Amino acid sequence: MGYITPVRRILTAPDLEKWKESPTYDSVVSFIETLAEAVKGKTNDAECEVSLPVSQVLLVLDDVEKSIDKFPVIQDKNTSRFGKVEFRDFYDEITQISKGLLSSRIPKLQLHNDGKTDNDENNEHCNNEHCNHDNDDDDDDPLTEICVYFNESWGNRTRIDYGSGHELNFMCFLLCLVKLHVLDLEKDATAIILKIFIKYMKIMRNLQQKYWLEPAGSHGVWGLDDYHFLPFLFGASQLSTHPHLKPKSIHNKEYVDMFKDKYLYFHCIWFINSVKTASLRWHSPMLDDISGVRTWSKVAEGMIKMYKAEVLNKLPIIQHFFFGKILPAPEGVSRPPSSTTTTATTAHTHNGETVVDPDSNEGLPGHVHTWGDCCGIKLPSAIAAHQLEAASKPIPFD
Amino acid sequence: MDMDGDIPMEEVSESRLDPSLEDDEHADHNPNYSFSQPFEPKEGPIPALPKSSVNQLDQWIEQLSNCQPLSEENVGNLCKMAQDVLQFEANVQPVNVPVTICGDVHGQFHDLMELFKIGGPCPDTNYLFMGDYVDRGYYSVETVSYLVAMKIRYPNRITILRGNHESRQITQVYGFYDECLRKYGSATVWKLFTDLFDYFPITALVDNRIFCLHGGLSPMIESIDQVKDLNRIQEVPHEGPMCDLLWSDPDDRGGWGISPRGAGFTFGQDISEQFNRTNDLSLVARAHQLVMEGYSWSHQELVVTIFSAPNYCYRCGNQAAIMEVDEQHNRQFLQYDPSVRPGEPTVTRKTPDYFL
Repeated sequence: MGYITPVRRILTAPDLEKWKESPTYDSVVSFIETLAEAVKGKTNDAECEVSLPVSQVLLVLDDVEKSIDKFPVIQDKNTSRFGKVEFRDFYDEITQISKGLLSSRIPKLQLHNDGKTDNDENNEHCNNEHCNHDNDDDDDDPLTEICVYFNESWGNRTRIDYGSGHELNFMCFLLCLVKLHVLDLEKDATAIILKIFIKYMKIMRNLQQKYWLEPAGSHGVWGLDDYHFLPFLFGASQLSTHPHLKPKSIHNKEYVDMFKDKYLYFHCIWFINSVKTASLRWHSPMLDDISGVRTWSKVAEGMIKMYKAEVLNKLPIIQHFFFGKILPAPEGVSRPPSSTTTTATTAHTHNGETVVDPDSNEGLPGHVHTWGDCCGIKLPSAIAAHQLEAASKPIPFD
Repeated sequence: MDMDGDIPMEEVSESRLDPSLEDDEHADHNPNYSFSQPFEPKEGPIPALPKSSVNQLDQWIEQLSNCQPLSEENVGNLCKMAQDVLQFEANVQPVNVPVTICGDVHGQFHDLMELFKIGGPCPDTNYLFMGDYVDRGYYSVETVSYLVAMKIRYPNRITILRGNHESRQITQVYGFYDECLRKYGSATVWKLFTDLFDYFPITALVDNRIFCLHGGLSPMIESIDQVKDLNRIQEVPHEGPMCDLLWSDPDDRGGWGISPRGAGFTFGQDISEQFNRTNDLSLVARAHQLVMEGYSWSHQELVVTIFSAPNYCYRCGNQAAIMEVDEQHNRQFLQYDPSVRPGEPTVTRKTPDYFL
């Protein structure tokens, strides 16, 4: 099958242009649009069929949820950074167990002795011309790829933060399950949101509050939200056929309380109001502006446009997008920066001592130093030369 | 696929996220750290402003102190006047005592007004701000306009350093760009300010004893004199000494460490000891990190962090602080809580183009 450990490939502005025209981009957008359409007019508790694979994914999420309880916040040290360090223990646990968890809960992903998964036979995507098969890799386990998206879904271990890029990884995880025919988009779309995504949101809210996750790349008051985008997108679709509720209803506290468990959008408003001081107009002018739109259906349409422009088309977010065989990289984008930084570990060796970038699970071209940070000896010029390609240096986190 | 609708951002679209495309005659983007072309400040003293300019500035300051932004045209005039003043300032701008040293503000205009109430009005009190005026808060435009106007009006009474957010690239990610588009309908004001940010001094030296800067130390800077050799008139680089000075953080671990931010370094107490000894300093004062009490000591009081945006982003619940240094170099921290906000925002609701 030739699965690979997913790598980051969108490093420059020209890469970003290729990404926007790529089949993977289209399939992410179309996946999200299909899901939004599937919950149109439906409340969170609307009846929907829960297929066996959906229930299996829910079991995985149950396990994740249980893991959180294993890591209470103990070290309440007044550090300058906000996140609680126990998040890292939770994160490490998830990355350690995810492969076993996914393969045991979702038997279709299990490898057989012949190196094939249950569903390899009817796997069409590998015939896809965009797959870029190298034929030099005989990894038959799709979990090599799926686990990366899954692990990235919970936030960043080093910075203890979370943002719409992590949320996107969770969608990529689900999209992989669709592409591998574990989930059936035609049958499962509604349940993917009303069961799986809602469960994911519950976990994320728990993580955000328990470990004080910092907003990753937050625009402050000028962003839609500190952490999320998609519950607004799906939530607006849920509301788009509502006969009475209007976008301006978000200013009505009674409505927000009444509908927070029925509609994702209202829950987001409730959550923001619960964690921020002053009025919504102060801390969330973007949501306030959107509340002036006449109908929810207009909001729902706009959310898709905004998601493309503000998330999928933004280099600071998409520079972290992972590509493998299931979600192939666009044709002609930058090669992964160097063999040491393509995937899971970024390390450089000085005098036999390996210095590992703690942020290296990011696989970014990253922070290789061109001067003496560890032993005072300058690194070989090949690395230095690479560092001079300013355009491929990722946007730092403030 | 143009998802930006009518928002006139085309004129900056080429430069977005890639400062090397900036059409900027003085920008040196060859990352050789420009040691060879140090910035030479104009020889002082700064010429006195003509009466008409003083009147104009006083009127702008009055308008801004009511949180009313200047017109686009006046922002242009303001930035031009500011450039004339800032080119007299050195990379290591000397500052006298007494002075009140302040950290991040991040567009929290009403809290900035509170700061001046707590610390005393400028110009009666001398102020040194260590950067990060913009991004995230509601009133970055008003905040930076006000501070720049004060700088021009009272150039020897207030010093405004550059923070890592005073950058084209960062402001496009963290809110100031969005705010300018929202308030002015175009990116012109964003362009004017981010061009001006290149002129902000990057460090200050208070009475030769307290080294002030936004971020922290750099492995390429051992002596303060080396800062003077930088060409600061450029976009904040991705790496190198100027980047580090604006991005680094002190850390409990010794030595230099990799910063989780992806820019700058972490530096340990051994580094601070060496730096302060080499440069005969009593203290490094810096900002850049949120601290719950508004100030926080590191490295056995060799380094202090000052953060002046209370309840940052309406959610952090932190206090803010400023540090007064008197003629005898006694230090006093003044802490404060968020100001009471007057009713609802004055900005009128406007439907984003995505939703039209």
